[in-house]
Amino acid sequence: MLQHGNDAERPARPTGTPAGIPGTHGHGLGSGTSRRRFLTATAGAGAALASPALLTGCGTAQAKGGNLQFWNFYGPQRSPDPAINAQSKWFTDMVAKWNASHRQQIDLVYLPQPTYLNGFKLPSAFATGEGPDVFLLSPGDFLRYYNGGVLADLTPYMEKEAVDDFGTALDSRKVDGKVYALPMEVEPLAMFYAQDVWEKAGLSEADIPTTWDQMLDIGDKLRTRTRAGLVFETNPGYYQNFTWYPWMWQGGGDVLDQQGNVAFDSKATRQALAFWQDAVRHGITPRTLPAAGDVISGFKGGNVALWQQGIWNVSSFKAFAPKYKYGVFKLPLPPGGRYVTTLGGWSFCANAQGRNPEAAAEFCVWALGSMKDDSIDRMVDWCVGAKSDVAPRASALERGAAKGGYDSAIMKKFKDEIFPGGRAEPRYPPVVYKAISDAIQGTMLAGRGVAGEAERAARSIAAYTKSYKGASLI
Amino acid sequence: MSSVAAQEGRRTSVAPAQAPVSSDRRRLSRKHREWLAAGLFLAPDVLGLLVFVAVPMVLSIGLSFFQVSGFGSYEWIGLGNYRRMMDDPLFWDSMKITGEYVVILVPVLFCVSLGLGLLVKQKLPGVGVYRTALFLPYVISLVVVGVLWKFLLDEQTGVVNRAMRAAGFDGESWLGSPSLALGCVIAVMVWVMMGYYMIIFLAGLQEIPKEFYEAAKLDGAGPWTTFRTITWPLLRPTSFFVLLMSTVAAITGGLDLIFVLTNGGPANGTSLAIFYIYQQAFGFGEYGYASAMGSFLVLIMVAVSAVIFKFTRGGRFDDGE
Repeated sequence: MLQHGNDAERPARPTGTPAGIPGTHGHGLGSGTSRRRFLTATAGAGAALASPALLTGCGTAQAKGGNLQFWNFYGPQRSPDPAINAQSKWFTDMVAKWNASHRQQIDLVYLPQPTYLNGFKLPSAFATGEGPDVFLLSPGDFLRYYNGGVLADLTPYMEKEAVDDFGTALDSRKVDGKVYALPMEVEPLAMFYAQDVWEKAGLSEADIPTTWDQMLDIGDKLRTRTRAGLVFETNPGYYQNFTWYPWMWQGGGDVLDQQGNVAFDSKATRQALAFWQDAVRHGITPRTLPAAGDVISGFKGGNVALWQQGIWNVSSFKAFAPKYKYGVFKLPLPPGGRYVTTLGGWSFCANAQGRNPEAAAEFCVWALGSMKDDSIDRMVDWCVGAKSDVAPRASALERGAAKGGYDSAIMKKFKDEIFPGGRAEPRYPPVVYKAISDAIQGTMLAGRGVAGEAERAARSIAAYTKSYKGASLI
Repeated sequence: MSSVAAQEGRRTSVAPAQAPVSSDRRRLSRKHREWLAAGLFLAPDVLGLLVFVAVPMVLSIGLSFFQVSGFGSYEWIGLGNYRRMMDDPLFWDSMKITGEYVVILVPVLFCVSLGLGLLVKQKLPGVGVYRTALFLPYVISLVVVGVLWKFLLDEQTGVVNRAMRAAGFDGESWLGSPSLALGCVIAVMVWVMMGYYMIIFLAGLQEIPKEFYEAAKLDGAGPWTTFRTITWPLLRPTSFFVLLMSTVAAITGGLDLIFVLTNGGPANGTSLAIFYIYQQAFGFGEYGYASAMGSFLVLIMVAVSAVIFKFTRGGRFDDGE
């Protein structure tokens, strides 16, 4: 019962080997072994062997049939936040439209964001063979799910024209030229600043920093006892790494080079680690996030001057602080650096081991990856209606612009200045993520030496990549 | 009701029940019937423990011998996960932090709870309100507690730093400094748990006969002597219970609070073993490795409990009662 229902279609995975269990081989009921000891050993070995079978449950979703489950953290739900309600409606409308025209029905299952992003529900569901048929996935989790064999190949359901329409947005969601996830949005990072604070300090548009040193100076100038000058993410996690990568990339650094060799211990890495460390050491950057991480409250309450944040906050400002004046600018550069920012965003994925993988894959492509007007318009509605994002498809970006979705000064800046030159969030597996995270945390908040931390992380990544088996890490 | 009347009453109430005894029941002796009753009363608990604790524990130990992908693939690797654990500096760091956490939390919690227990035992006006107020944090979800304290300890706008600034001190980054964060987690945990253990101590204190205190008073004993010679020795079973339960809770609990308050940071400064195990299992899909570490943690817990039993004689009095 270790492989549920997929044995015929998939190569057998390594399973428990009874021969390898001590106590079950070469131990008869000899004179030296009492019946009790034999029974105890047998029970122990039995428990070890039974564990995988019992922990995977008694059947897979595939065997059960019925409606497909689409797990997400947007809807259906009701919220005091009109932006969240609009996002929920986008999801419910999409599923209702599919259900009205297809035999295979889909149920939309809402999971609160903390449960979905850092919780145990999604991993536990997959571990027990009960994973949802359609689900949302971030680039940081892509490889783990791909290597686990649960991502269905979406390529057969896509026209070539549609694949081209996505362009580089699919790069981190492809393996061997095949598409395994369809991005619903592109979310670049930029610097957000409080205009009133800026103006009160006698600063103008001309003072917008273009270098790291300038930004530190301005942060230092704008900080007070109750206002953070410059905010970087401080909580350890995938998100902190995501926000730190562009500072490393700007200096020409990387975690792995084009050949997949470890390149983390570099001048650019040390420079980026030192940048965040200096900002904290000089008291310009707080050690914890203002307003417990609530961006809108932080700005509105006057507790923040500058904050590295993503495009998604544009819709949050629109919903909760429509009159609040803020500005955005491109991430400043180190000496001799080249502009780059990280592009985040979630994707639709189909479970290759679900109830009906073909229908699930067909749904993902129907929703976001078809050349039909309906599919393109749906992405436009998501990126410039329900949310404030850059559309990952050229056609949707064009239509969104024509619809006026990028007419506001902030969105125009995101589309024309901040997004171009961006790089997709990497898909490093947990061990790589953790090594980088420890280096960031160790230097930024514990004041450890940047050289030592970069070297330690590089060693840890190298040890992992040596034994890594799976799709390409880059 | 006098004791004689009570006995009469008991007789009259038992007698009619014995009249229509069936032939099946006659076959069971009184001893067997008592065994049967005990078994039936215990069965739901035993069943619950078996299904929700014992079986998962055994399965978890079994799982620790496998490399688990988190997607249905299991590969037998024998002691591989345990070897990996021995070489994992992050795990040992988390064990060290857990050690510090337990060594500070348990005695502080013990003393604060005992102090509060002694305080709310006094006949003070409105003592019921104090008892309720002190117990309240215990009934709040740890997630809510985490969010609440995150705001209170905020660097810029938190109440704690505002009060410090008003008093002329500089504010601190309570949750952002590796040297302070663990202390803050411990302080919040004490705030949450003290009400529960206060009630336990209060129950223990109320069990001590008043006559002992009256005799001590007649002998001219002061408060400290009374506490040292009467309260403390007679609280031994309660103290043992509090010590054992708070130690076990400290080793295995607090995950929700860490998750909300610090997420294991800053720089792994609050990454308790239980948090690291959770992260490996549900964050990284390393279920086999997490099971190995979990099994090891259970072993440590059993060893610590055994030491507590040994040194407190299981909370028994010297005469073995």
